[in-house]
Amino acid sequence: MPELSAITSAFGDALTLHSIMVILGGVLLGYLVGVIPGLNRSVAIAIAIPLTFYMSAYAAIAFLIGLSKGTAAGSAVSAILLNTPGEPSSAATCLDGYPMASNGQPRKALKVGLLASVIGDLLSTLLLIVVVIPFASIALKFGPYELAAILIFALVFIAGMAGGSFLKGMAAGGMGVILGTVGLDPETGAMRFTFGYAELMEGVPILPLVIGTLALSEMFVQLEAYRRNKGGHSIHLANNPNDDLTFKEFKSTLPTIFKSTGVGAFVGALPGLGPSVGSFMAYGLAKRGAKDPDSFGKGNPNGIAAAEAADNAVIPASYIPLFGLGIPGSVSAALLVGAFMIHGIQVGPLMLRDHPQMLFTIFAGMIVASLIMLAIGWYGLRLFAKVTDVPQNIVIPVVIFLCLAGIQVQGYGTFGLLTVFGFAIFGYFLKKHDYSFVTFLVAFIVTPMLEMNLRQAVILSGGEISILLQRPIALVFVVATALLVIHLLWSSYRQYRQRRQTTA
Amino acid sequence: MTPKTQLQRRNVWSGIGVALVAGWLLIWLIPRYGGSGMAFGMHPQRLATLGAWVMLACAATLAVVSFIRLKQQHAPLFQSIPLGALWYQVWPFLYVLLFIILAAYLPLTWLAPFIIGCLLALLGEHRWYVLLGASAIPTAALYLLTVHLMRIGVV
Repeated sequence: MPELSAITSAFGDALTLHSIMVILGGVLLGYLVGVIPGLNRSVAIAIAIPLTFYMSAYAAIAFLIGLSKGTAAGSAVSAILLNTPGEPSSAATCLDGYPMASNGQPRKALKVGLLASVIGDLLSTLLLIVVVIPFASIALKFGPYELAAILIFALVFIAGMAGGSFLKGMAAGGMGVILGTVGLDPETGAMRFTFGYAELMEGVPILPLVIGTLALSEMFVQLEAYRRNKGGHSIHLANNPNDDLTFKEFKSTLPTIFKSTGVGAFVGALPGLGPSVGSFMAYGLAKRGAKDPDSFGKGNPNGIAAAEAADNAVIPASYIPLFGLGIPGSVSAALLVGAFMIHGIQVGPLMLRDHPQMLFTIFAGMIVASLIMLAIGWYGLRLFAKVTDVPQNIVIPVVIFLCLAGIQVQGYGTFGLLTVFGFAIFGYFLKKHDYSFVTFLVAFIVTPMLEMNLRQAVILSGGEISILLQRPIALVFVVATALLVIHLLWSSYRQYRQRRQTTA
Repeated sequence: MTPKTQLQRRNVWSGIGVALVAGWLLIWLIPRYGGSGMAFGMHPQRLATLGAWVMLACAATLAVVSFIRLKQQHAPLFQSIPLGALWYQVWPFLYVLLFIILAAYLPLTWLAPFIIGCLLALLGEHRWYVLLGASAIPTAALYLLTVHLMRIGVV
């Protein structure tokens, strides 16, 4: 367990002016991105990574975490005022947020959303800190057998739980694994899929990959959607004296906020599920447990509180498998791994051993980010309400330019621009055909670790599979993976049978 | 034509596409470019091969299952694609590709106002001050960032 001095020192580092300014910049940028419909967290992080190249490792991560948190809170603004969620996970917020805003209470709806977001985020961050340190301490004792088995289980789990078809998820995972093997083989020194390009020797560069597949491809999808939907009209904040949140009203939402935070934290800790599942699950539970379920969908503040608390609780909780095991459970966690890699830090339980001070400072920075989020959201309501008016036809060209500029500034040159373009086509295919993007990205990120552990396990065992009998944890995960595959295939088959019976 | 049928049709074609790519990887690309040499325990090609087999098995199953469902619904496998919609999907890619090619010869700071401004105009924006502001501000930001990076010796 960490010493008290380490914790106080971490808070000291996180509370320096430089640190606060970096986090403030991240949260503010995230808020703005979250408010603008069509720009999501992944796009924001992908195009922000180049900005963090010249920051220190802690500043870069704090900036990106602040950005991630800011987008989650900011997306509620467009959901409430525009009925268009800034993030897919805020779709549940629209259900009660927009009717409440339409009924002349936009400020109240925004404040409920903000407070629920901050409380959900803060409590989930505290849970992350409490859980991850003992978790990582145990994980440090794992050998290559256990780590390889856990990584394979996590990939199958994410493919099954990330939504859509399990088969498509697994296929996307396969693509990620293949791309993850590009570059110099660490054992033999053999060149794999480099085709003579020195740029590929260290593997597929992560920046063109994430900018192409996440940001640029998303802009192509948005351009296509822009033809059909040219944007809606935002509700403006008026000076209505009845449109403010009283303490009594806020107090009445607290039980819902606490319950929904629990749901969000649970969903977030499981790799692959994502904030949309968390927010809709929490909304459903709040509606079912309410005394007046009929008022949901018509502007009930508990509906907004449930969706926002869960949505924001998912993000810090999704870092539990990341810091505990080195497994990114979501796209934003996978992007953080990329940022850590750029700064030469291996994220996972080893951070507890090699960079404990940085780990604690990041946690302290996360708490600071939650508080900054409250301040920015509270005092910037009017500004953010205006930002929802920014039309998409301005946002899309600027983001396309930022994608290209981000690559060029890093000195990748024409090779980088062509790589980003290739990955944009690839990402467009994944999105249009609903192949799980998170499985692809997680598989790409964890493949070097998986390969190293698999290789060590094969060498240590001498090819004897019976060695697993002496490694009960690894055996449990191998069996769990097999059972999971059978369960997912069986449930797909059962759904198919049910559909056939319904149509017959 | 229900969205379900369209999804099945898309699954058939994407499944066939992914399976063909996986086959090509297994037959041609991985054996030639997947790495070679003596290895203890695991060959350099092993994981990529495993990934390609997973892709092949899943994509082929997806294609077959979706094909069977499509046939049960008596829906055709082929559907004509409206050329207008296809063009609307393709032109943004060509637009970006054009500027990437130009970026091989000209600095991005010169191209930046045109990348943003032309696309804005194509998307129906005709107010000159919006065109000017949206093009000039990011260009200026890129220019300042590049100058800063050059001064600190990064670029």
